[in-house]
Amino acid sequence: MDALKKCLEVEHISKTFYNNKGYFTAIDDVSFDVHEGEFLVLLGPGHCGKTVLLNILAGLEEKSGGRVLYKGQEINGVNEEMSMVFQLLSLMPFKTVMENVELPLKFRGMDKKQRREVAQHYIDLVGLTGFENAYPHQLSGGMKQRVGIARAYSVHPEILIMDEPFGQLDAQTRYLMQQEILRIWQEEKRTVIFVTNNIEEACYLGDRIILLSSCPATVKEIFDMSALAKPRDIVSREFLEIRSKISDQTDLSM
Amino acid sequence: MFTANKKKSILYRLLMMVLSVSSVILLLAAYRAVALANPLLLPSFDQIGERFVKLFTTPIKGVPLTAHVIASLRRVLIAMGFAWVLGILFGFSIGWSRTLNAIFGTIFELFRPIPPIAWIPIVIMWFGVGEFPKELIVFIGSVIPVVVNTRSGVMYVEKQYTDVARAFGASRFQMLKEVVLPSAIPSIFAGLRTSVSTGWTVVLAAEMLAADRGVGALVMRGWMGNDMALVLISISVIAIIGAILSFTLIKLEKVVCPWMH
Ligand SMILES: Nc1ncnc2c1ncn2[C@@H]1O[C@H](COP(=O)(O)OP(=O)(O)OP(=O)(O)O)[C@@H](O)[C@H]1O
Ligand SMILES: [Mg+2]
Repeated sequence: MDALKKCLEVEHISKTFYNNKGYFTAIDDVSFDVHEGEFLVLLGPGHCGKTVLLNILAGLEEKSGGRVLYKGQEINGVNEEMSMVFQLLSLMPFKTVMENVELPLKFRGMDKKQRREVAQHYIDLVGLTGFENAYPHQLSGGMKQRVGIARAYSVHPEILIMDEPFGQLDAQTRYLMQQEILRIWQEEKRTVIFVTNNIEEACYLGDRIILLSSCPATVKEIFDMSALAKPRDIVSREFLEIRSKISDQTDLSM
Repeated sequence: MFTANKKKSILYRLLMMVLSVSSVILLLAAYRAVALANPLLLPSFDQIGERFVKLFTTPIKGVPLTAHVIASLRRVLIAMGFAWVLGILFGFSIGWSRTLNAIFGTIFELFRPIPPIAWIPIVIMWFGVGEFPKELIVFIGSVIPVVVNTRSGVMYVEKQYTDVARAFGASRFQMLKEVVLPSAIPSIFAGLRTSVSTGWTVVLAAEMLAADRGVGALVMRGWMGNDMALVLISISVIAIIGAILSFTLIKLEKVVCPWMH
């Protein structure tokens, strides 16, 4: 695997919000590369600007400075090659699981029969077979999260952005979903940018971890985790060592 | 007194049923007591029953009770049909397009606080006392809540849903059809519910002022003829039909919005 091929280059991104009370800098000169096929974790404390950064990458938010290159080409606005699992989940409450998963394909003009097939594939992949006709309010938190993941995968994105997808889950379900996401990632190889504020989750999942400071977000340090094979044993000596190395570097609020 | 899990027990439900039935019985008993004590104030049940039968044997203004009910219902349904279709379209347009809101939204805001009944004199002066002016007044009354609720449903669609649609490349039309319209439906239904009760109220007011037929005309006739039984029967009919209309709408909402619990 050509692990070092750059897929996305994030260069000097900054973001300042202006409102009637003045201005507020959420992101300050953040730069990093995303390598093709890697599982990249952005680890940062709460309210440090992670969601804003991801929204900039996905083209949902304007940036105040810097640029984003996809395979060497500067991109602006929404990009077909990227897909997102939202922090708030944002499943349409008025659509069934099937309709939610196939919605992005509908937007891209795929015909009904074909998009049913694709959506079914990803519903099966995330383990929701049999729940196609359920509405989101009938699902548990973990199941909703799976719908969000299936929806993001359905468009065959080059890069999958996941914004604290397991933040709302209880510890048990969260651990289960971490294993699930590794399984899915190994079955459907995609570049993943995964945001979390949980050190253990970052160490369990990441090929590389980019540590962000508290607000405004800046890159503090980058950790290469590729030496640890997956699935990782969270009580092994190596794991605990690297985990404490990272936690020494993190800001208090985490 | 009752804990949450007791609420679900059969005993609790039975008790609640007994309570609501006995409150109705108590109300009727109180009515009877007043009617016995002062027959001028309220007619007895026997008198009401007789009057009810007489409504069919000696029709008022040449038609039986059912024809009066149908006349009122017809006015409401025709006017409300137009109010729903046009109100939803108009509310959607001004909720969706800033330009249209700038042009028509302000005018609408100017007319909105006028109570529908206040239009009655103007409409009668313009169009006389036929069917059309009554339907027009009902239309004016019931279109307003539809527009208001549709507009806010469209305007305040949650950003998280439009963000998803944008991120996945929805066109403006797709955004409207797949996200904005369905998420506005609960709010639109709230508007329709209000429009039903407003429409029903307004038609009665219009009929009381100028009509030969309709439940409102019956109330008026009872009043003018000092026929208390007729007034009470008309009021009960009004209550029953109002309840049927809103019940139907609730059922319709369940069919249209299967995701609502
Ligand atoms: N539209 C906006 N206008 C003004 N300030 C904003 C806006 N969006 C976000 N912010 C601010 O930017 C900061 C970062 O927000 P962001 O949502 O990116 O945090 P986060 O790192 O994702 O936090 P969490 O871990 O809780 O999800 C917050 O302090 C927030 O108040
Ligand atoms: Mg966030």
